[in-house]
Amino acid sequence: MALNIERDEHTGTDTTGHEWDGLKELNTPLPKWWLYTWLACILWALVYFVFFPSFPYGKGYIHGLLGASSRNDVMADVKGFAAERNAVMSKVAAASFDDIRKNPELLAAAQTAGRITFANNCQPCHGAGGAGNPGFPALAAGSWLWGGKLEDIQQTITHGIRSGDDAARDSQMPKFGTDGLLKPEEIQQVADYVSTAFFGLALKDAAPASIAAGKDIFAANCASCHGDNGEGNRDVGAPRLASKIHLYGGTRDLIVRQVTSPHMGVMPNWNGRLDTATIKSVAIYVHDLGGGE
Amino acid sequence: MANVTTGSAPVTYNEEVVRKFIIAAIFWAVVAFAVGCYLAAELTWPELNLGYSFTNFGRLRPVHTSGAIFAFGGSMLFGTSMYVVQRTCQVRLWGGSALANFIFWAFQFFIVMAALSYVLGFTEGREYAEPEWHLDLWLTMIWVLYAIVYIGTIIMRKEPHIYVANWFYLAFILTVAVLHLGNNMAVPVSFFGAKSYSLFSGTQDAMVQWWYGHNAVGFFLTAGFLGMMYYFIPKAANRPVYSYRLSIFHFWSLIFLYIWAGPHHLHYTALPDWTQILGMTFSVMLWMPSWGGMINGLMTLSGAWDKLRTDPGLRFSVTAVGFYGMSTFEGPVMAIRDVNALSHYTNWTIGHVHSGALGWVAFISFGAIYYLIPVLWKRDAMYSVKLISWHYWTATLGIVFYITSMWVAGIMEGLMWRAYDAQGFLQYSFVESVVAVHPFLMIRLFGGLFFLLGALIMVYNAYKTIRGPRSAASMLPNAALAAGE
Amino acid sequence: MDNQTANSIVGFMMVPLGLLGLLLAARAVDVEIEIFGYGLVIFAFLFGFSTIKRVYDYRDAARAIAHKEAGHG
Repeated sequence: MALNIERDEHTGTDTTGHEWDGLKELNTPLPKWWLYTWLACILWALVYFVFFPSFPYGKGYIHGLLGASSRNDVMADVKGFAAERNAVMSKVAAASFDDIRKNPELLAAAQTAGRITFANNCQPCHGAGGAGNPGFPALAAGSWLWGGKLEDIQQTITHGIRSGDDAARDSQMPKFGTDGLLKPEEIQQVADYVSTAFFGLALKDAAPASIAAGKDIFAANCASCHGDNGEGNRDVGAPRLASKIHLYGGTRDLIVRQVTSPHMGVMPNWNGRLDTATIKSVAIYVHDLGGGE
Repeated sequence: MANVTTGSAPVTYNEEVVRKFIIAAIFWAVVAFAVGCYLAAELTWPELNLGYSFTNFGRLRPVHTSGAIFAFGGSMLFGTSMYVVQRTCQVRLWGGSALANFIFWAFQFFIVMAALSYVLGFTEGREYAEPEWHLDLWLTMIWVLYAIVYIGTIIMRKEPHIYVANWFYLAFILTVAVLHLGNNMAVPVSFFGAKSYSLFSGTQDAMVQWWYGHNAVGFFLTAGFLGMMYYFIPKAANRPVYSYRLSIFHFWSLIFLYIWAGPHHLHYTALPDWTQILGMTFSVMLWMPSWGGMINGLMTLSGAWDKLRTDPGLRFSVTAVGFYGMSTFEGPVMAIRDVNALSHYTNWTIGHVHSGALGWVAFISFGAIYYLIPVLWKRDAMYSVKLISWHYWTATLGIVFYITSMWVAGIMEGLMWRAYDAQGFLQYSFVESVVAVHPFLMIRLFGGLFFLLGALIMVYNAYKTIRGPRSAASMLPNAALAAGE
Repeated sequence: MDNQTANSIVGFMMVPLGLLGLLLAARAVDVEIEIFGYGLVIFAFLFGFSTIKRVYDYRDAARAIAHKEAGHG
C-alpha cells in the first residue's frame, strides 16, 4: 500500500502515511524532556553500578567501590541498638529486684523494656494487659499457678512450663478418663462436686448423693494436688479450684472434659531468646499488672 | 452469515467470540470486586471468616486476585486483542470460529476450576500463579492455541504493517507464555494427584516467583492493556496517535527493562545484594519507558479534549492513563531500597497495586467496554450516557478512598514498626500497629464498595443496551445477515 | 470463509479430552483431580455437541442465504 502522508491540521505534524481501520500515527519526534529524563535515569543507574554491588560473573559478583553490604549494615545496626540498651540494661541485669525497685532510673527502664517485650512476645497468648485466654492464665488476676513473687515469675519466664528445658516447671495430671482410672459416672460425680462445692454453681440436676460420692472420689484422687478444699498447690502448678477464675472455663462440662483427658499447657522457655535483663523487666511488668505478690 | 469473500466484499469479522469475552469480563469483574469487598471486611473484622476453611482469608484471597487479574483482565485482553487484531489486519480471525469458541470456553473452565481448587485448599503457594500443575497444563494448552490464532491472523493480514497495539498484544502473549512455563516448573507427586513440588528451592524459588510476579504486572497488566489503550483511545478520540517514534522507543525499552525488575520485591531478604540492586536500578530506568505510553495516550487527545465532556467512556480511558502514569512513577520510587525499607510489607503496597489495578487496568477496560458494546451489538449508543457518568464518578471516588487510606495506613505502619525509644527498645508492638490501621481498613472497604457499586451500574447499563433496539443502519438487509454471524 | 476443517478438528479433539477426564476421575487420589476429571468430561461432552450443533446451524444459514439469492435471481 502506498504511503499516504498527510498533514494533521491541529498539530501541524505529518502522519507516517500508514492507516489501520481508520487509525493513523503522527510522526512527532521524541519529547526532549522524556528522552533526557530517561538518559538521566540510565546515568544514575550506571553510577550506582560503579559504587554498589551489581553484575554477577562466574561464582562472584562486582562488589562496587564502596564495599556496601546489607548483611554488615544489619550486624552494625543490631550491635548499635544492643549497645544503646546495654547502657542501662546491664545495670538491670546486675541489680536485685529490690534494688531495681528503689532506683527510679532502673525501674523506668525495666518498665519500658517489659511493656514492649510483653506486647510483642507474651500478649498473643496471655492477652493485652495479661487478661488471659482460655488455657492461657490471666496474669493480672493474682491467681498464680506456679507463684506470683518476682523471683517465681522470673523462673517461669526463663525456663518455661513443660518446655523441655532442664529447669522447666513440670507436672502431669493423670488422664482419669482415657486411662480408665475413673469410670465415666465417677467423673460425672466429681464434676458435680467440684462445680457445686468450689465453682459455686447452682446445678439443679446435681443430686446430693452424686455430690457426696464425688466428694469421696475427690478426696481419694484429686486432693493430693488440688488440696482438700480445692486451694491448689503451686509446687506442682495445680490450679486453685475454689476460685472464680478458671484456666479452662467454669462449667461442669469443661470439668468433665478436663478430668477425662486433661489439657496441660506449654509455655516456651525464653532464656534462648531474651537476655536476663529483659526477662527481669518482663517479670516486673507482669508483677505490676495487678496480681503480683 | 455472509461468508463469501470476493475481492472487494467487506470482511466479516468473528465478533461472536469478542462479545462472549466482553460479557465474561463484566461478569468476572463483579465477582472479583465483590470477593475483594468481602476480604476487605474480613481484614477489618476477622470474625467474618465465619470459621469455615473455605471462607478463610488465605483461600479466598487468590479467588479475588485471580478473579480480577486473570478472569476479568484476561477476558478483556482475549476479547479486545481478538477484536483489534481483526480490525487492524483487515482479516477474519484465523483458525475457524470453533477454535475461537473453544479458547473462550476452555478459559472460562480454567477460571472456574482454579477458583474451586483455591477454595478447596489446593495451591502451589505461588502468588498470582496458585493453580496446581494440572490446571497449569490446561492453561498452557489454551495459551498455545491463543498464540496460534493471534499470530495466524497477523500473518494473514491484508495491511502491509503491523499496528502498534498488536506489538503490545504480541509481547504480552509471548512473554506470558515464557513466564507461565518458567514459574510453574513443578514435579507432581502423582499423575492422579494435584500436589506438586517446585523445581527450585529457597531463595532461587523466591526469585523465580517474583521474576514471574513482577512481569505478570509488566506484560499482562501493562503491555497487554497498553495494546488496548493504543486502539481504543485514538478510536474514541478520532485522532491520530501522538508519536510513532515514541511508540517504538517506549515499546522496546519497556520490553527490555521490565524483565529485570523482579528482585525489587525481595529487598532486604536473603537475596544477594547485587540482585537487589539490579532490580532497583532497572526499575528506575523503567520509569520513562512506562511513561512513554502515558504521553502517547494523553497527547493523542490534543485537539479532542472537548470530547471528554460528552463521552464519559473516553473519560474512563483517559483517567486510566493518568492513573497509569501515577502508579508507574510510584512503582520505581517504591523499588528504591531506602523507600522500600519503609513501604515493604505495609498496606502502602496494597494501595499501589490497587491504583494500578483499579485506576489503570479496570478503567481502561471500562473505556473499551463502553466503546465496544454498541459496536458489537449493533446499537446506536449505550442505553444511558448519564449512567456511564455515574459509574465514572462512583468508581473514581472509590479509588480515591482506597488509595489515600492505604497510603496513610501503610506509611503509619512502616513508621510504627521502625520506631525505637531512647533506650533502644521498640516503641510499638505489632498489635498496636494493627489497631492503628483499623479505621483506614474501614475506609478502604468503603472505597471498594463504591467501586463495586460503579460496576453494578455498568452491568445495568450494558443489560439495557443489549436488550434495547438495534441501530437503524444494522437493520439493512445485508448488514443484518453479517451481524447474525 | 469460516474454516470447516478447523472446526471439525476442534470438535473431534473433545473425544480424547473427555477420555482423559474419565481416566483422571477414575484413578484420582484426591478430590481436586476427581473434580477436575469430571469437569473435563462434562466440558468435552457439552463443547463437543455444541460444536456439532454449530456446524449444522451454519449449514442451515448458508442454505437459507443461497435459497434467498436464488429466489431473487
